[in-house]
Parts: sequence; C-alpha cells; structure tokens
Amino acid sequence: MKINEITENIKIAFEAMRVNKLRSLLASLGVVIGISFVILMGWVLSGLDQALEDTFNIIGTDMLYIDKWEWAGGRNWKKMRQRKNITYDQATEFCEKIKSAELAIPNAREFGYKIKYKNEEYQGMSFIGTKWEHSMTPAGATLIGRHFTQFEDDIGSNVIVLGYKVHQALLNDGDPVGQYVKIEGRKFLVIGVIKKQGTMLFDFVDNQCFMPIKAFQSVFGRSGRSVSIAIKAGSIEYLDEIRAESEGLMRQIRNIKPGEENDFSINETKAFESTIEVLRLSVWGVGIGMTVLSFMVGMIGIMNIMFVSVTERTKEIGIRKAVGAKKRTIWIQFIVESAILSFFGAIIAFVGCSALVYLTATFLPKIVPATAFLSPVLPYELLLIASFVSIFVGMLAGVIPAVRAANLDPVEALRREN
Amino acid sequence: MELKEENRNGTTLIEIEHIAKIYRMGTEYVHALRDITLQINKNDYLAIMGPSGSGKSTLMNIIGCLDTPTKGKYLFKEMDVSEMTDNDLASIRNKEIGFVFQTFNLLSRSTSLKNVELPLIYGGFGASARHEKAMKAMENVGLGDRVNHKPNELSGGQRQRVAVARALVTEPSIILADEPTGNLDSKTGLEIMNLFNELWKAGNTIIVVTHEEEVARFAKRIIKLRDGLIEHDSVNHHQRALTEEAQP
Ligand SMILES: Nc1ncnc2c1ncn2[C@@H]1O[C@H](COP(=O)(O)OP(=O)(O)OP(=O)(O)O)[C@@H](O)[C@H]1O
Ligand SMILES: [Mg+2]
Repeated sequence: MKINEITENIKIAFEAMRVNKLRSLLASLGVVIGISFVILMGWVLSGLDQALEDTFNIIGTDMLYIDKWEWAGGRNWKKMRQRKNITYDQATEFCEKIKSAELAIPNAREFGYKIKYKNEEYQGMSFIGTKWEHSMTPAGATLIGRHFTQFEDDIGSNVIVLGYKVHQALLNDGDPVGQYVKIEGRKFLVIGVIKKQGTMLFDFVDNQCFMPIKAFQSVFGRSGRSVSIAIKAGSIEYLDEIRAESEGLMRQIRNIKPGEENDFSINETKAFESTIEVLRLSVWGVGIGMTVLSFMVGMIGIMNIMFVSVTERTKEIGIRKAVGAKKRTIWIQFIVESAILSFFGAIIAFVGCSALVYLTATFLPKIVPATAFLSPVLPYELLLIASFVSIFVGMLAGVIPAVRAANLDPVEALRREN
Repeated sequence: MELKEENRNGTTLIEIEHIAKIYRMGTEYVHALRDITLQINKNDYLAIMGPSGSGKSTLMNIIGCLDTPTKGKYLFKEMDVSEMTDNDLASIRNKEIGFVFQTFNLLSRSTSLKNVELPLIYGGFGASARHEKAMKAMENVGLGDRVNHKPNELSGGQRQRVAVARALVTEPSIILADEPTGNLDSKTGLEIMNLFNELWKAGNTIIVVTHEEEVARFAKRIIKLRDGLIEHDSVNHHQRALTEEAQP
C-alpha cells in the first residue's frame, strides 16, 4: 500500500509540474543556484585536494628539505637573500654525517640554460645535479628508461634523465633513450624520462632534468649557487628527531654561535598544507555563505509555489479526502511534490554545471595553466550529496504547505469553485 | 433496546440520535441541525427534501462522515462515529460510502477511468485490480467506451455517471447523492435517477438530497427538513415505477 501511495504521489507531482512548467522552473531557480554552488564548490575543493595530494606524493610526506629559502615564505624575503649560500662541501658534509635519516642527498640547481636535440632547442627548464639515490625518492621515479647508477654518479658520467615536459618538447614522444642532447656545448646521453608529476602547485617538476652532480659541476661550475639537501625520513614518525638532528648538525657545519638565528630553513610539506588549508577555508567560507543564502531563497521560492499549489488545488484535496484520502496521504502528496520540484532544480543544476565544468576544465587551463588541476567531470559523490540535499531542502520547504493541505476541512474544500 | 433488536435482523445501517450541528460565526451561532433522530436500514432509498438552508447538505455530510456532529450520537454499522479519529473517518468514507455531488467533483486533469480508480488507490488496491474494478464500474454506468475521456470531454450527464461509477467502485454500504440532478437538464436528470433506481434494485442503499418532487418520487421514503428539524418522515406511496428507458 505504501509503495502504491508513493508511486501515485510521484505521478501526481509530475502531472502538476507538467501543467505548470514555467512556474515550476521559476520556483526551483533558487535551488538550481544553490545546488550549483554546492557542486562547483565541491568540484574546486576536490580538485584542490587532489592537487595537494599529488604534490605531497611528489615531495613526499616523509621528506625534509634544507634550503637557503623558506618555502612557506613566512619570513622576510630580503633577510633570506642575505643568508650565505649552502655550499656543495657543506651539503656533502651534512649528508655524510646525518645519522637518523634514511637518505640525504644534495641537489644543485641551475636555471636559464638551453638544451638542444638535433635541431630542436628548449629553454625554461632547470638542471639539477644530484646523487644516484635520487632515484629512490618519489620525485625520481622514471617513466621511460632508468635513473643513473651509483657508478655513473661516482665517475660523473655525462648522462641525463629528462623531465616529462622536456621530453615532450624535444622529442615529441619519440624514444629518447640512447639519444644525445647538448647542454652548454657538451654532449649528454639520455638514459630516461621522469614520470609526469606536474600539479597546480608544482608545475615546474616536469621541467627538470637530472644528472650526476659531478657532471653538473663540470658544466656549470662548482660554486656560486646554494645547494639544497633532500632528506628522506623513511616515516613521518621520525621527522621530529631528524629535524632536531639536522638543525644541530647544520648549525655546527655553518658555524652558527649559540643564540644566533639559523641561516637556513628546514622545509617540509606541512608548509603547503597550511597554505592550502587557508585556501580551502576561504573557498568553503564564501561557498557556504552563498549556498546557505541561495538555499534560503530556493526554499522560500518552493514554499511559496507550494502554498499557491495548495490554494489552487483545494477542491482537488476535498475530492481526494471525500473518497478516502487520509491526512497523512495528502501530506505525503505535497511533500513528495515539493521534493520532486526541488530535485528537478538539482537536475537542471547538474546538467548546467556538467557543461560548465567540462568547458572550464578543457579550455581554462590553456589560458591559465594554474587551473590544470580542475577535473572535466563532476565527482559522482558530489551529485549524490547534491541530490540528497535538494530533496531534503524540498521536503523542508514543503512541510508547512503540506500540513496546511492535510488539515483542510473536506466540506470547506469541496465548497470551493475551482 | 430497540436498536439491538433491529440489528439482530441485520438491517440497520445507520442510527442517528439527537444530532445537532452548530456553527459559530463570530459571536453568533448557526443551528444548521437542531435535533435529528433517524434510522436508516439496508436497501433503504431515502430522499431528503426541504427548503434551502434547512440543513440537508449538513446532514448528508455528517451521514457521509465528511463532517462530525456537534452533539448527539451517530452509529454507523454499530460503530460510534463521534469517537472516531480523522483516519478512521477517512477509511469509512473510502470503504463504506460513495458520494455523488451536484457539481460532479471530478479531477479535471485525470481521465474518467483514473477518476473512478481514485477511491481504490486510497483503498490500497494494486494497479491491475484497480483497472479491472474501475472498468467494470464504468461499464455499469454505460460508459465503457468513454474511459479515456477527461471530464471536459464529456457531457454533464456523462460526468455525473462517472461520479456514480466512482461512488460504486468500492462497493460501499451506502451511496449519498447531494442534488445529483441539480446541474442537469430534466431528461439527463431522469437518466441518472434511473441509474440510482437500478442500483437500489440491485440491493444498494441510497440517500438523495433534492429540491425536486420529480426526483424525490423515485425514493421509497421521504424526509422533509425545516430549520434543522425533521418535519416529515414517511414512506413514499407514490414511488415512481421504472421508466421505459430503465426497463431491461
Ligand atoms: N461552514 C458553515 N459555517 C456557518 N454556517 C454554515 C456552514 N455550513 C452551513 N452553514 C449554515 O447551515 C445551514 C444549513 O446549511 P446546508 O448547506 O445544510 O443547507 P441545505 O439544506 O443544503 O441548503 P441548499 O438547499 O441551499 O443546499 C445554513 O443556514 C447555512 O448557512
Ligand atoms: Mg445543500
């Protein structure tokens, strides 16, 4: 009997909507906007979360980076500029002496040089001189070929592992392994390509090429830059211990007197987490405010149209009651109608947002590369949540009109003209 | 008690004792019904007459459980209606009572078949049972070929037949008709009355509210109301014979 009643009510609701198409559309407009906000907000946030996760996976959540620069940028930039460079010797000494870390490797970086392959030329990427252990960090995973070996590292072979974008630009998807590229007039043997890892926050990671640090120094010189140190903890649990040891060791190597400030920074992924958290919160804050507001408008719209509907159909309610409809039945009829009206608004929002999201994610990154993290399809959980929210909002908006309909006196209702 | 004796025969359907219905209009009270005592038996054919405002519709609505009396006792099949909840009343209306109104009161957006199915929906019948019963009721009123017409595609007489089919479809204990011919011309009105006559002969209990002597003459018993009181309650000795149209 219940099932019968519900299906019948759904039919009645659709019939009522069919008769008043334009009115139903206008009534659900608030819900359309509200649901659109929920969907778009969720879409941006989920994209952001994905980007954040990808980023963490590259950097590694169990990694520390000792650098002249502080990532989070909390401290004065000028002050950091005045810091002395971390020299290659200091970095090497650190890597040899650190005990608690699973892995510690120096990374020297140069930017603004060209790489040539046959007639192709590419600029805008950076060259990184590192140790063979780089292959053991998340950032060193190869897509094609291999990373350089300990032997190649020791002798400083002219071998190079290309970043994903560099490979695309120079070889246009052709097999790079065994080819030679030229950097500053020197020939390098390409042995592999690093996995594509670029995200919104770390677009540049696909624009890096890795070589043994000795080879790096013979091309770009031994000094004149600050070397950073990548430390792999092995597990996040050890981070505190390693951070403490690193700080002490680095202060000792850099001859910092007690009471003096560190002239280096120990960076970790947490720095990004807090930046992203601020971003998330502001998206939520604005989004929630707008959403609540538009749902209020949506609810008022639906409630209003439901009141109109009850008034218009007073006679109908009287007839239904005369032939045996119970209060509860009438109540359900109007709640179902209200919920369906609202859900109908949600469907419109789904269609509209899907189109918008697809177009945005397809074309916007071509103009604004930083938006590459946006997905062209809506996550289905989001649609599910939005459906439930819309139905809930519709039911809520329908309660008072439905109670009014259910409580109509049948004799009075039948006396109506319409 | 006389009531119990009557019931032993299984003939008493409705027992109304000293019923009053009082409406409050601001500070004034309107006595729509003052003191009505009435017994209706199975297979009665009752006409309720009286001038406008005498309380005919009010009485009809109370008998039909659409409304409840302010005072007095109403037993429907020995059940005390005055103590029933809204839900109980709704289910009595659904199962025991079939209404026919002056203005037809059909759902204008639904086909005649859907209109006839309506009480069955609220009675919890499944789709196929509903369809079957409604088809049968439509055929009973001679509209087997009009099931997919909407009310505005039917004549007044046909609309009222649909309403009769809707009243019949649940096989109720009693059919209540408030001025069923009020909106019809005399010939069409006669057709409807012939339909009632057939239903009565088939064993149904019928109450018709009417102004018209012509209509009342079909009934077995005539009650005249005036100012909320029963003025006359008598057997109709001139009960009209079946017209030619209604002859088999
Ligand atoms: N809801 C109401 N509120 C106030 N007074 C009412 C209400 N319903 C009926 N009345 C009054 O009760 C009295 C009886 O009304 P009722 O409708 O029963 O008369 P009736 O005999 O059916 O008249 P008619 O032949 O015109 O249909 C009338 O005086 C009417 O004004
Ligand atoms: Mg009346």
